[in-house]
Parts: sequence; structure tokens; C-alpha cells
Amino acid sequence: MAEKILEVKDLVVEFKTDRGTIKAVNGVNFDVFKGKTVGIVGESGSGKSVSALAIMGLIPSPPGRVASGQILFNGKSLVNMEPSEMRKIRGNKIAMIFQEPMTSLNPVFTIGNQIEEVIELHQPQLSKKERTAKAVDMLRLVGIPSPESRVNEYPHQLSGGMRQRVMIAIALSCEPDILIADEPTTALDVTIQAQILELMKKLQKELGMGIILITHDLGVVAETCDSVAVMYCGQIVEAADVKTLFNHPRHPYTKGLMNSIPSFDSTSGRKKERLQTIEGMVPSLFDLPKGCNFQDRCSKVTEQCRGSHGEPTLRDLDSGHLAACFNPLN
Amino acid sequence: MNLYSYIFRRLLYVVPVLLGVCLIIFVIFNVVAPDPAFILLGRHATIEQIATLHRELGMDRPFIVQYIDIVKSAFTFDFGYSWSSKQQIWEMIKAGAGPSLTITLPLFILSNVLSISIALLVAFYRGKLIDKVVLLVSIAMMSIPSLAYILFGQWFFAAYLGWFEIAGYEPGFPNFIPYTLLPVLLYVAISWGPETRFYRSVILDEVYQDYVRTARAKGVSELSVMFKHVLKNAMIPILTQIILQIPFLILGLLLAESFFSIPGLGGIIIKAINTSDFPVIKAMTILSAIGFILFGVITDVLYTVVDPRMRLK
Repeated sequence: MAEKILEVKDLVVEFKTDRGTIKAVNGVNFDVFKGKTVGIVGESGSGKSVSALAIMGLIPSPPGRVASGQILFNGKSLVNMEPSEMRKIRGNKIAMIFQEPMTSLNPVFTIGNQIEEVIELHQPQLSKKERTAKAVDMLRLVGIPSPESRVNEYPHQLSGGMRQRVMIAIALSCEPDILIADEPTTALDVTIQAQILELMKKLQKELGMGIILITHDLGVVAETCDSVAVMYCGQIVEAADVKTLFNHPRHPYTKGLMNSIPSFDSTSGRKKERLQTIEGMVPSLFDLPKGCNFQDRCSKVTEQCRGSHGEPTLRDLDSGHLAACFNPLN
Repeated sequence: MNLYSYIFRRLLYVVPVLLGVCLIIFVIFNVVAPDPAFILLGRHATIEQIATLHRELGMDRPFIVQYIDIVKSAFTFDFGYSWSSKQQIWEMIKAGAGPSLTITLPLFILSNVLSISIALLVAFYRGKLIDKVVLLVSIAMMSIPSLAYILFGQWFFAAYLGWFEIAGYEPGFPNFIPYTLLPVLLYVAISWGPETRFYRSVILDEVYQDYVRTARAKGVSELSVMFKHVLKNAMIPILTQIILQIPFLILGLLLAESFFSIPGLGGIIIKAINTSDFPVIKAMTILSAIGFILFGVITDVLYTVVDPRMRLK
């Protein structure tokens, strides 16, 4: 078993709004291991990005706050840590890349400048010359051609894929223990997407970091993750290692997600069957139903799910395969 | 393309704009405005008198020649003589610019420094109490007409408390200070509300950008996020706002100068309008147009310095 570096325990993140307080993340548990990738999958608004921001200590406050729960990084609690101490971890031990490579870089500074900034913050012992050299090395590492001249370019001179590489270079320049990738390839072309994922896998091997990969794309999960947590309405509804989850989904929501991926018959090249969708809408966080949050969209729904037995909680169905469902699939 | 050829090209664009402005001024003064004969000779002038005056003013010449006169004056600054004071207009302007600057320059510096720093402060504490209080006060201060500030200031601070001179002027530093202090402070108060609100919204536009989140994720401190990342991006709209104020510095403050009897350009304009002194009004219109065009060019050039996206290939 690999070394556990991050432990998220019963995390609850609340947002105050004009219509009342909502729990964007409601009792989430997961662990990150050294050199392993954990995928967090879910629809928009399921709380996956908020969980990531909570780990970074970047929940916009007000209106948001970590209401309860623990985030332990190498045994140290990140919740309510002194801001100055948290800044030493952010970008250094835990780094993050975002969904929007086009806007995530500062348009008025050169990319070299932006890489050097993070090195200067966390490795102040390096001289200006060493920092520049390191920035060039990082650009070379993430596969940017002719890094010596690219380092002086501005973000608008680079394509989306190149900008995401620069973001990765910034994130990895202090060799973090954990990389949080929040939909890193969603805004990119499919071919570029594959390149970026390959790059992340390769660098993970070289640096041995743990990765939290947030995505709504199960294809990306299958390709890159070791274990997966599926989120719905701020809660984890199913968690397992990646093979188990794909071969044998137990929660009807996970099954529904998999059925809604288009698939092709490899021999005829035609679609095998009609694409299935999950009926209904994600319930509003202001107005969650009693019992299971998925009840109105679930084909297996029973009286039990409607609140007579409370909310379904995550339970171990089969040696580490967790699901929060009263009637799990077989 | 380097900066110099860009500036040169940008200056070339000034020529057609200036010609257009001169055309508009020509149309206003020769077609829309009443015949100066009515103003200078009164209602009972004879046809001969009017014809003589038209000849003296050069109004009997073809339109195109008169138009070229206006264009020429925009380059030579030879605007002729004032009808009412018979002085050379360019000399009047040179004499008035000094007193105007003694008010507008300190006002310009003070109000911009004050409103930008307060805007940065409240953007830093956005949503907190201090932000709400500043917003409320600035809206309240914006809602009071500027005339009310002047009248109240003259009555309360100058007449009642006796802290400042009510009106008047003495040339030369530091003699003018007792006279200019009150109008400067009053106009800082007048412009503080709208400027703070403008700068605050400009800065807040940047605070919520994705690159700010990236900077925080790198471990950059809030102060450095604000002053390094946000301010440099907000510089573009801020620069525009600041530079386009400069032409007004020279033109002076219309109301304040006449209320405080300061012999500046603002007072000259008001007096010229009251006496229908066409050559002076024309000169000031041309000068302010030139000011706007030139400082527009300067803004464009500075953009390319501040924003790499506007740098030319």
C-alpha cells in the first residue's frame, strides 16, 4: 500500500446565499496516496470543484466556509490553518491547475515571469539567474518547444494546450506532493487532451506525486485514475478502484453516467444502441428531497429511498467498493 | 513595427480628425450661430455698416477660405483678437493658463491618488463593512450638485469659520495658496464620489478573474495579488480615465473660477459665452479639441506599454 498523504474526512462546505445556506459539499471522505491518482466524477454543481478549493483553502469567504470536517495533509490539519502557513503549502506542497487555460494566466506578465514567481515564493534561496534557468527547464519538462525563447512570451501568444502546459509547469515547479487538476482538459481539443493527460501521467511517475483529477468525463477517468469517487449533490455516492467501478458499477447513478457515454461498435463503425440519458434534473441544493437525493431519477427507487429509512450512507459492499444506495445493483 | 513608427502612424490619423473637427466648428459658427453683426452692431445697424463689418471680419470671402483660416489657426494658435477686450486671444490664453493650473494640477493629483488608493482599499475588503460605508458615502456625495458644494464651502468654511479667502487671486507662489486651497478641496470632494466608484468597479472587474485565483493557488499573498496582479491589469481603464482628464486641467474649471474670481481660462470661457465673444469661444473650442485628440494619442501609445496584447507585431 502506498503512503497516504492527504485525508479528507467528513468535509462539509457551506455557502450563504440570499435564499439560505446550502451545503455544496456534504460529508465527503476520500484519501490521496503517493504516486496514485484519485478521480472525482460528477455533474456540474455536484461539489467536486468546491472540494478541491477547500483543500487549497481557496473557498471564497464570505459567502463560503468549511463548516465541519477535517483535511489532513501528512497528518497536519489544513482547515483553519494560519493564512501565512497555508500560503507556504499552496503552490508548493499542493498545487492546482484549472479548467480555463485561456484565462488562468495573467495576461500582462510573461510566462517566464509567472513561473519564476512561484519559485521565488517557495524557494527564495535561488538567485534570479537560477530561477530563470529553472523556468526554462520546467517549460522543457512540460514539452514546450524552444523554451529559451518561449519563456519571454506572453500568454496571448500561446494556444490553449500550450497555456495548460504552462499552468502545469507553474504547478509542478516546486515539485508538489499533490496536484489537484480541476477539469484540466475540458476546454481543450481531444488530441490535445490526450497529450495533456499523458504528460500528467509521465510527470507523476517522475515526481511521485498524488493527483486529484476532477472531471465529468468518465473516459478521462478510465484512462488515468487508480481509484474513483462519484459525487452527486455534494455527496460521494460510490467509490472504488477504477477497474471495479467500470466493470461493476453498483450505484444506479454511476450506471446511468456510464450509459450516457457514446460508444461505437468497433467492427461496423456504427453506433451500437441509442444513447441513454439520466431522466430528470439534478435537484436544487436549496430543496433536496428527504431520503436519497437520486430518488426522482432512479429506476430502482423504492419506498425505502423516499425517506422512511433516512439517507443512504456509504457502506462497503465488496472489499473496498463503497456505495450509498439502499438497492445497489448486482 | 517599433514604437516610433506606431506613434508616427497614430499622429497621421490625427490630421483627418482635426480637419473634421474644424469643419464642425466652422459649420457651428458660420451657419448655426447668428450673424455677428447683430451682436456687434445691435438691431439698428444699416446695411452699409453690416457690409463693412462683414468685410472687416473676412466673412465676405468664400467659405473654403474661411474654413482654411480655422484650420490654420489650429496649427499657428493665431486666433485673432477678442471682440470684447480687443486683446490678442493667444496672449489671453497664456495669461489664464497659469492661474487655472494652480487649481487644476493639485486637484488632479490629489483626487486621483485619493480615489485610486481608497478604491484599492475597498476592493481589498470587498463586501465588508468598510466597502459598504465607502460606497454609500460616495453615492451620497455624488448626489449633491457641485454648486451646493461651492456655495456651502464659501459660506461655511470661508465666511463663517474664516479658514479661507472667499474669492480672489494673487499671482505667484505661494501667494495664491490661500485663494486656491478652498476650490481645490471642494473639487476633490465633488470628484471623489464618482471617481472612487469608477476605480472600485474597474478593480473589482479584475479581482474575480481566473488569473487572480491562479495567483492565490501559487501561494501569492493577498497584498501582492492586489498590487501586482490586479493593479497592472486594471491600469488600462485607469490610464484612460486619468489621461482624458488632462485637457480639462488646462481649460480650467468653468464654475469654480467664476465663483472664486480666479482669472483662469474657465473664467475667460464663461465671460466669452456671456458676451457672445465668438473668436474666444472658437479658440477655446479648437484648443480643447486638439487637447482631446493629442491625449487620445498618448493614451493609445501608453496602452501598448502597459498591455502586451496591444503591442504591435
